[in-house]
Amino acid sequence: MADSRSEILQGTLEMLVLKTLSLEPMHGWGISLRIRQISGEVFEVNQGSLYPALQRMLRRGLIRSAWRTTEHNRRARYYEITREGTGRLEAQVAEWDRSSGAVNRVLRFAFQGG
Amino acid sequence: MAWFHHIGSALPALLRRKEVEREMDDEMRFHLDMEAKQNERAGMSADAARLSAVRAFGGVERYKEAVRDERGARWFEDLGQDARYAWRTLRRRAGFTFVAALTFALGIGATTTLFSVVKAVLLTPLPYGRPESIAMIWSAWKGFDQTWLSYDEWEAYDSEIRAFADVGLFTDGSITLTGDGEPERLRAGSVHANVFSILGVQPLLGRGFTAEEDRPNGPPVIVLSHGLWQRRFGSDPAIIGRAIQVGGQATTVVGVMPDGFRLPLDFGAAGATEVWQPLATDAAQNGAAPGPAFSPDGMSHGYYGVARLAPGATAEGADRELRALFAHLVREGTYPAEMQFRAFTVPVEQQVTGRVRPVLLVVFAAVGFVLLIACANVAGLLLVRGEARRRELAVRVALGAGVRRLTRQLLTETVVLAGAGGALGVGLAALGIELVRRAAPAGLPRVAEAKLDPAVLLFALGLAGLAALLSGVLPALQASRIAPSSELKEGGRSASVGRGRLRWRQTLVATEVALAVVLVVGAGLMIRSVANLLAIDAGFRPDGVLTMRLSTPSTWYPDSVRVAAFYDDLQPRIDALPGVEAVGAARLLPLSSEMGDWGLVVEGYTPPPNEGTPGDWQVVTPGYFEAMGLKRVAGRFVEQRDRMDAPFVLIVNRRFTERYLAGRQAIGARVKIGNPDNPWTTIVGVVENVRHNALTSEVKPQFYAPLAQFAVTTGNTMRGMTLVVRTSGDPKSLIPPVRSILRSIDPRLPVSEVRTMEQVVGASIAEPRFAMELLGLFGVLALVLSAVGIYGIVSQVVAARAQEFGIRAALGASPRDLVMLSLRSGARQTVAGLALGTGVALLLTRAMTKLLHGVTPTDPVTFAAVVAVTAAVALAATIAPARRAGRADPMSVLHEG
Repeated sequence: MADSRSEILQGTLEMLVLKTLSLEPMHGWGISLRIRQISGEVFEVNQGSLYPALQRMLRRGLIRSAWRTTEHNRRARYYEITREGTGRLEAQVAEWDRSSGAVNRVLRFAFQGG
Repeated sequence: MAWFHHIGSALPALLRRKEVEREMDDEMRFHLDMEAKQNERAGMSADAARLSAVRAFGGVERYKEAVRDERGARWFEDLGQDARYAWRTLRRRAGFTFVAALTFALGIGATTTLFSVVKAVLLTPLPYGRPESIAMIWSAWKGFDQTWLSYDEWEAYDSEIRAFADVGLFTDGSITLTGDGEPERLRAGSVHANVFSILGVQPLLGRGFTAEEDRPNGPPVIVLSHGLWQRRFGSDPAIIGRAIQVGGQATTVVGVMPDGFRLPLDFGAAGATEVWQPLATDAAQNGAAPGPAFSPDGMSHGYYGVARLAPGATAEGADRELRALFAHLVREGTYPAEMQFRAFTVPVEQQVTGRVRPVLLVVFAAVGFVLLIACANVAGLLLVRGEARRRELAVRVALGAGVRRLTRQLLTETVVLAGAGGALGVGLAALGIELVRRAAPAGLPRVAEAKLDPAVLLFALGLAGLAALLSGVLPALQASRIAPSSELKEGGRSASVGRGRLRWRQTLVATEVALAVVLVVGAGLMIRSVANLLAIDAGFRPDGVLTMRLSTPSTWYPDSVRVAAFYDDLQPRIDALPGVEAVGAARLLPLSSEMGDWGLVVEGYTPPPNEGTPGDWQVVTPGYFEAMGLKRVAGRFVEQRDRMDAPFVLIVNRRFTERYLAGRQAIGARVKIGNPDNPWTTIVGVVENVRHNALTSEVKPQFYAPLAQFAVTTGNTMRGMTLVVRTSGDPKSLIPPVRSILRSIDPRLPVSEVRTMEQVVGASIAEPRFAMELLGLFGVLALVLSAVGIYGIVSQVVAARAQEFGIRAALGASPRDLVMLSLRSGARQTVAGLALGTGVALLLTRAMTKLLHGVTPTDPVTFAAVVAVTAAVALAATIAPARRAGRADPMSVLHEG
């Protein structure tokens, strides 16, 4: 049904999550907040959609999780990037650079040609 | 795919399901709290902040579901849910569930029962070491397809056939055990010392025989079977070295064989030997030439031969060597060419199971058909139910249930049904196995070992899975095509069921009919075959006859005079019992054992060169002919006056006179039995042929010698005889009085094989009858299941078309028109099924050729009858629902419309 679109989104979401977690371990809400801040609210997705993605990444071993206490003394589930996740992030960033570079070249060419 | 991560996440999710769920709740609540708090900091009211947080999250339950999906344990969780749901659904429709589960149970139970038998008889290796390299050796010559070896032949095989690593001889007979309780008559084997090692079996206790024990006049030693050791000697390990009384002689027990050990020929109907003694014979005793040479007179054939094949050798290779050896013997003149002497091996597995293999395989195939019918039946029931549930399913699809999930749920229902049916079926199989073990013919080897073991249970589980798959696929397919929009748009009413959906059900009807035809044809052929066997005139009248085996051991009856005196004493006393019409005794009972022959001299008859004048030998007491109901052709029977000192007489069968006395007066002709030095005997009577070896075997020339004279005319004293008593009443009622007379004459005498003659005849055709009974049972089962299936499907079709019929009725169709209409719709499938079934049966019944007597596998009469019967049953199953169509009420349609 809406598979192709959500797959693209999922892929992007995954990359953003990994990027966020590569800076420091973070709980779900923190990840969501950080992504919103970085992306300047470009991604208009439901915050809840983060959790299935996190579960999927856990299953694939890209991240791991543990319950810790926040600075405000609440228990929260913190996520942490694994070595596998780091590798995956680098690969995805490289892939992204390559394809966005290609798109940019096409666009430049198209504008010049037009 | 990193499957271990998958499992790593799925497993805890399954095992700590509650905890994982709670953690997910906590995590999402934390998220919403934090978001709300941030919103408050941005200036919202507490309520607005929370509302906005929830909205931004986008539906808590929805994402919980999504997370659950991602855990990877989803499949299992759903399965549990589906199973619970299936169980609730099935419980709500108890009637349907009962019928479907019972149908599965019948199919699975019957198939599992037969599998346990097939496994015990055909699949479990014989209790020998490397049974694949053990072979029996047989001789054959003109008139004898498979018979004993001579001592000379054994010596030749042992030294000259390179394919044999070791060759041994054995025979069977019986012994009387006394002391330690009641006297007991036991079947006993006499074996060469190497026979146990050829069979690759070590005694459980003690040892086998030594070469010193296995020679004439060796020390008296004996080896016991496990069963006898348990039963008579209380499993006492101190039995080894003890002396027990065998035929009145102290005999040392040297060994006990392991449980389940039998000689290769002991798996059959005659029962097993329970003790073994050394063969203790040599060339001199057998009139044979010592060593590989052949004695000119050493052709007495009386031993079974068993060989262990040399490493790498095959039975075929041994047969080639045997052919070469016999060609050589014939060239040398040791064996006359006319006798067509030959020898061959039979691998021991084939020896034991060869005869029953085709019976079992046919019956097993038949039961597979029953299972298929059961599956078709349940599939039909499920389709019918699926039809009724279309709206329920459509609503659920419309409410968001995935079609795949629905399909899986339906399959789960079938699996639960099949599981219940399988559990019930295993219970039925437990009963069935018990029943088969009791009712199986004695000749079905090793059937006593059939049991519900793990392999059989696993098989039943597999069957349940298969059944679920076979019967669940169609209904699931049906559900997968549900389109809620069209289903619900119809407003819950459709004038008729779509053609595609009907076709599945009609195909099922045709399939069930076809399967039933195949089974019933098999049953019909067996019934005809057994009827043919029973119609054979065996030459005697088995009704009202009691038989029992008696033995007069030489310890107490040293000579033939005492033996004859015993029967002279016994017979008048039994004759005096009320209801007894005649009493006599014979060496061998017809249809219970193979009869050997003696070489004869018939005065005035010269056999063709090198052919001899063999006669099957029977020894009888006066009264035997009357008691067994033999038919007199000429002259007289054996009478009281044919004593030892009277003129020697002989009765012969009709075949004897045709063969040796053609064109001559039989009465008064003279015959010598065996050695030409023996005295002449005179034929005083001719009787009708008796089929002794089997109902279907060829009748050979046979003679009956009076017991009192046989020792004089041949030098042999008969030790074992079978008493035959004819009564006007129930023969079994005579057992106690006859036994008490025997006890009063000699309490030491063992009595065995107490049977009525009808039991003896029944046992002789037990295998075809067993096949007939099982195929008959399955045939009836198939007809009933098919009838139920057809009834259910046609009923449903009629119900689904009720509105159409109502409209037709409103438009003027008569009830008769409507009945005919629905009959026609059933008739087409029935005819298709009959045609298909007949075609398949024509192909398959060829496999039964070996089981049939006097009827071809494509017997037109049987086929015609079966088609008629199946058509009638199918019609009967169609009529009731069709009549319901005739009662279609036009008013109901108009009112509801």
